Amino acid sequence: MQEKDNTRRKVLIGLTSAVGLSGIPFAATPFIAAWNPSAKAKAAGASVKLDVSKMQYGQQIQVAWRKQPVFIIRHTQESLQNIDAALPKLADPNSDQIEEPYKGMNPTRSKSSEYTVIAGVCTHLGCSPKYHPEVEPKPWDASWAGGFFCPCHGSMFDMVGRVYKGVPAPTNLPVPPHFFKGSILTIGEDGGTA
Amino acid sequence: MNIRSLKFLDNKFKQYLFLLGIVFFVNNIDSAEGGPCKDYGDCDEFKYSLNDMASLQRGASTFLNYCYGCHSLQYSRWGRVATDLQIPEEIFFENLVFDKTIKPGDLMIGSMSKEKSAEWFGVAPPDLTLISRVRGDDWIYSYLRAYYEDSSKQYGVNNLVYPGTAMPNVLAALQGSQKLVCKDVPVIAKNGGEKRDDYGNTITKQKCGYLEVDEGSGELSKEQFDKLIYDLTNFLVYVGEPAKATRERMGWYVIFYFLIFTALSALLYREYHKDYYK
Amino acid sequence: MSEMVGRLFNWVNDRLPVANTFERHLSKHPVPSKVNFWYLFGALASVVLIIQIVSGIWLIMPYSNTEEEAFASIEYIMRDVDYGWVIRYMHTTGASMFFAVVYLHMFRGLLYGSYQKPKELVWIFGCTIYLAMMAEGFLGYVLPYGQMSYWGAQVIISLFGAIPYIGESLELWIRGDYYISGITVSRFFALHVVALPLVLIALVFLHLVALHEVGAGNPEGVDIEEHLDEDGVPLDSVPFFPYKVLNALVGIGVFMTVFAIIMFFFPEGGGYFIEMANFEEANPLVTPEHIAPVWYYSPYYAMLRAVPDKLGGLIVMGSAVAILFVVPWLDKSKVASIRYKGIYSKVALAMFGISFITLGYLGTVGVTEVRKTMSVICTIIYFAFFLLMPIYTKYEKTLEVPKRL
Repeated sequence: MQEKDNTRRKVLIGLTSAVGLSGIPFAATPFIAAWNPSAKAKAAGASVKLDVSKMQYGQQIQVAWRKQPVFIIRHTQESLQNIDAALPKLADPNSDQIEEPYKGMNPTRSKSSEYTVIAGVCTHLGCSPKYHPEVEPKPWDASWAGGFFCPCHGSMFDMVGRVYKGVPAPTNLPVPPHFFKGSILTIGEDGGTA
Repeated sequence: MNIRSLKFLDNKFKQYLFLLGIVFFVNNIDSAEGGPCKDYGDCDEFKYSLNDMASLQRGASTFLNYCYGCHSLQYSRWGRVATDLQIPEEIFFENLVFDKTIKPGDLMIGSMSKEKSAEWFGVAPPDLTLISRVRGDDWIYSYLRAYYEDSSKQYGVNNLVYPGTAMPNVLAALQGSQKLVCKDVPVIAKNGGEKRDDYGNTITKQKCGYLEVDEGSGELSKEQFDKLIYDLTNFLVYVGEPAKATRERMGWYVIFYFLIFTALSALLYREYHKDYYK
Repeated sequence: MSEMVGRLFNWVNDRLPVANTFERHLSKHPVPSKVNFWYLFGALASVVLIIQIVSGIWLIMPYSNTEEEAFASIEYIMRDVDYGWVIRYMHTTGASMFFAVVYLHMFRGLLYGSYQKPKELVWIFGCTIYLAMMAEGFLGYVLPYGQMSYWGAQVIISLFGAIPYIGESLELWIRGDYYISGITVSRFFALHVVALPLVLIALVFLHLVALHEVGAGNPEGVDIEEHLDEDGVPLDSVPFFPYKVLNALVGIGVFMTVFAIIMFFFPEGGGYFIEMANFEEANPLVTPEHIAPVWYYSPYYAMLRAVPDKLGGLIVMGSAVAILFVVPWLDKSKVASIRYKGIYSKVALAMFGISFITLGYLGTVGVTEVRKTMSVICTIIYFAFFLLMPIYTKYEKTLEVPKRL
């Protein structure tokens, strides 16, 4: 009789514990999920769409995405032909040292052969580099071939955001996920196929 | 008085029932005062159906076409409405979102400035996100169908559910012209039956305050209009609490779980109970 | 592996009385062997307390305690935060369940004389917890900053204005502003989130320690300490683990089923748990048609409205709660449990219960002449239950209490 009782007890303890413990992950789910980005965060962090067809050649514009500045440059033909003018001065010309989403697609480092899309945040300490497309001697570089100069600590980048050797910034300006649909550029999403 | 006379209250269950009975008796000493639907009488019953996507979609369409011009839904987001109502985002934004600068994550903050509208209407049209929770869905369903012509009022209309409302009858073209009419109704005798005269004919008397639509004066028939309002109210119930359908669905699982748990723990308790109860 | 754990445990146990405390207060703690379901509500109250604290912490995260954003932040929780609505409803359902459970727990105390010597202090701590809970509930309800939050706060704070001489300054001081505003909300936020929970936790701790010092009661009113076995353990007791734990588990299962039914299907409680007017943002220029407090305050609200004078009403309301504290000294009966008390106690308790519930109903509806009279009658019955207690408990014929359970 005791044997039977003991088994019954063990089974019941086992079952009740199993049912009880199995509820814990479900009970925990709302609390863990509540920490996910809310709809407000997702809305604020949503992709930015803009029509870039009205940009002038050689113009740089800036938009905000996830509280960061993103530079969009529409290159002139000249600039595209001379895109590797500063090649020997670059630290990482092929963007091997960083996560380059669209590596090898275009010399512009973006999904388009005409536009460059880069994060406007200096990879040194986060200042916003200034656009200097003019090919002329500059106080920071006697043979300046156009590009970005960061006023905070003097880092230099070329026209497609690749970092110079011997400057405080360690890496090239990163390329955010983006895609083009006709003349509409969406920054923040990959858009699937190339 | 001794204990034996209260023998019918020998167990706890009967005691509670007795208590409840007394409470009910006491409660019925006074009857309800003027209800929420005011001159309309009792609000018409409304049963929401939040799983009827077609109804919700029609309601959303009606709202965005007729109401959103004045009333915002400031706590609701555009994209969420499309997702919850199972409308593909492209179709939703193409057909129902008239301001093309709006992004899916944006709040439905409305198209009318609050200051201007307060100036024009005397009071700014209230935000309607939570209206179904403040007033009740019965109330909304009744209100939207209770407009009648009243030349003494600013817009020529009044409303039985909300007498003196500052809101014009936006759906008048769909409903047609509704008027307050008097009808001959049977007189009800004390026993509940109809009073009749010596010839067996029902005695009638004039009773006013009935709503009647001039047939054919609106684009929709009465049934069609009622259905439109049903869908619209259904949508407002959804917007008031988008998680409602999910909540009710989840509830069944949770309750089921706890019933199982209770049953098992009761068995376990009884098993151990044997230890000290010979 | 288990040897290492054992050694680690011993190291800690030599420095902190873990094993001893665990056995004395949990596993081996002797509890009367025969109790009924009325004895479950204490355990359920602590379950609700934990639910409120956890859900409360998670609500603080997305909540904004400013006048401009408070109301909107609640809708943010309900819509934009993943599963935010679960946490919100958990908290509102928990608040009502907390009071339901505590009222039943207190009624158990009246039924079985749980306040009698030597448990007077347990009772007093309990009454203080009740008082703290009422404050906590009121403060919490103001935070969503809906119409009822605002106007309920207006009514309650104006009650303080009834106090002679210092009333008006007190009102101004509590509000921190000339009218209820974001300043009031943010200070109520601090009190609701930090101050009172700390007070509640401390009081619950003291309540339990005081109880464990003298031992729990039972429906028979028998003193189980009178008959001990050779180890000094009461014969009519069982160790807390596993017997009472398993008993509590069943109670928790039933309770959580009810909790889930309310939370998932009737979270607004027909307008009694979350009042409809509170889905409208606070508007100082528009007063709602009915200002009614949430259901658990309604008996006192009915008492307040039964008295024509403002200060008088405040005093009656305050006394209604204050008189609870002295029940141990009002009950002169030689027996503890209603089972063995005389007919007067039984009738008195029944009438008290009925009048309290009726007052509760009357507090939720509008005032009419008939209802006002009912409120006055019920208030008188309420106080008579306590004030006449020294008489009817002393002179009634009681039955003989058995020696053993």
